[in-house]
Amino acid sequence: MTASSHPVVDLAGVSKSYGDLTALRSADLVVHRGELLAVVGPSGSGKSTMLNIMGTLDRPTAGKVRIAGHDIDELRDRDLSALRAATIGFVFQQFHLARGVPALDSVADGLLYSGRGRAERRELAERALRRVGLGRRLYHEPHQLSGGEKQRVAIARAVLGDPPLLLADEPTGALDSRSGAVVMELLHELHEAGTTVVVITHDRDIAASLPREVRLKDGRIEYDSALGDAPAGELVAAEGGLR
Amino acid sequence: MSLTTTDRDTGRPPWRDLPPPPRPKAARMGPADVVRVGGSGLRARPMRVFLSALGIAIGIAAMIGVVGISTSSTHDLNQRLAALGTNLLTVSPGESFDGGQAHLPTTSLAMIRDIPEVETVSALGKTSAKVYRNDHVPVAQSGGLRVTAARTDLLAAIGAELTDGTWLNAATSRYPAVVLGSHAAEQLGIHYAGPEVKVWLGDRWFTVVGLLAPNELLPDLDSNAMVGWAVAEEELGFDGYPTSVYTRVEESAVGDVQAKLGATANPEFPNEVDVSRPSDVLAAKEATDDTLSGLLLGLGGVSLLVGGVGVANTMVISVLERRSEIGLRRSLGATRGQIRTQFLAEALLLSALGGIGGVLLGIGVTIAYASYQGMSTVVPVWAMAGGIGATLVIGGLAGFYPALRAARLPPTEALATS
Repeated sequence: MTASSHPVVDLAGVSKSYGDLTALRSADLVVHRGELLAVVGPSGSGKSTMLNIMGTLDRPTAGKVRIAGHDIDELRDRDLSALRAATIGFVFQQFHLARGVPALDSVADGLLYSGRGRAERRELAERALRRVGLGRRLYHEPHQLSGGEKQRVAIARAVLGDPPLLLADEPTGALDSRSGAVVMELLHELHEAGTTVVVITHDRDIAASLPREVRLKDGRIEYDSALGDAPAGELVAAEGGLR
Repeated sequence: MSLTTTDRDTGRPPWRDLPPPPRPKAARMGPADVVRVGGSGLRARPMRVFLSALGIAIGIAAMIGVVGISTSSTHDLNQRLAALGTNLLTVSPGESFDGGQAHLPTTSLAMIRDIPEVETVSALGKTSAKVYRNDHVPVAQSGGLRVTAARTDLLAAIGAELTDGTWLNAATSRYPAVVLGSHAAEQLGIHYAGPEVKVWLGDRWFTVVGLLAPNELLPDLDSNAMVGWAVAEEELGFDGYPTSVYTRVEESAVGDVQAKLGATANPEFPNEVDVSRPSDVLAAKEATDDTLSGLLLGLGGVSLLVGGVGVANTMVISVLERRSEIGLRRSLGATRGQIRTQFLAEALLLSALGGIGGVLLGIGVTIAYASYQGMSTVVPVWAMAGGIGATLVIGGLAGFYPALRAARLPPTEALATS
């Protein structure tokens, strides 16, 4: 197989330290277009640091980070913002929906910094809300929505512009198990439609249910089901998840 | 073969040799989006916005009010002066060389009349007589009223008006007839003129033939009781010297005539003559008190400054409270500049709100004062534009530091706050 395009995420020997504390040690991770994977680990394992670096919200102390082919060392802060606007969608545990703002406007803000006009943003937002099953909740404000619905609004906002990479940070962390299952199902659907999805979670069950699993412990990648050190059966399963 | 492993021949992943994609380019936000995003922060906290804007509004209202009231007063004065005429000059005797009371020569009227630019000339002459309601009033209670001899052409010369009766004419000026100034009439309890209305003047009864309207240009006339020149000389021991000469002059020549009027009225002792222009006196008296206006403007300025500090405070709190929003916006692709613009726009909107409110409030204060004083309202456009401009400067200054702080906040730190 030849590489016809850049991987969405390409981390090579990436470390991040805060003073004396090393949050991530020489991590190597490649995520290809169309993958669905979990980055799993207990709190303090470096998951959030990994998410911030993959999301270009933070720069590594050492190592190379390439996002969709862009070497982030060569990009200024302004370029990174543009890269996030065009390439990366974020979903957070706390939803981050502004109170008093109808779902449609919250979702439309997902493309606020993309240079698209307001009418187009709102049109895409309506489509995205229908896609996540909230076609009847367009004008509901956050306090009128359940936790699961809020997270679906947040997902609609993240995938509005069809970004190549969707980063979900504990997307089910604030939800009951039923709402969590709906959200996970939605992420699966997005993956099947072609979006690359990285789920950061501490939940091993969720991690195990995804095609690829990357385990972090004490800032190191302890296990990657896509690599040779994985049990044979799991590697096959991981490849099955790739397209 | 796994996709994630390196190429077996080179030891290097094959995609590393692909040409890098073009550098991503941050998109610009349209002005409408800038205003909408700036306003979103305000809509979420209406009470706080109202209170911070109020601080600015009070400052602007004070300044607009001061300027508006003083402009309205000046405008009103100018209108009144235009109606009264600014071409009236008065000549009166000053002090003589030895410090005593000088008097104008009896020929002065004729000499002034000879100046080509003079339109009308008339005169009053003070007598020593007193006027009373009736013959029972004690002599000492003259009420500060003066009895003066008046020329029959005085009314036309000074442009005074009667509220009742008639002015002295060739006939009545020879008989015991009197015209009362408004204050004099009030003091004597006279409300109308007529053959049966009489006052006790210089030891005999005088018939009140006319009442004068209050005279704004020559308020001294209000406390005069005016009798004919001839009857004053005959009955009241009047010496015949005019004590006030009133001249109407061609508008264009007022200054020239004013300069030579003294010498014309009394060529022998020109220094013993006082020449004045009543409209100047009125203008000086009514001119707005600059000290008070300055003080009020200063207070307005201080209030504006305090309002600005209030806006800065609101913005600092707003930035602190909305760290996670800032983080979210950065994750959505906002550049530092766009975050800075957002908070600056918010501060500007906030103070512009205060500025517009202040201008309206200031206009309201001016209208209230002007209608209470019976004046028309004039608020200069430059004051309103200046008010709004000042608030924008203040908003910019107040929002600058908070906006800078918001923009400098690292996105990871912003997102970590919940």
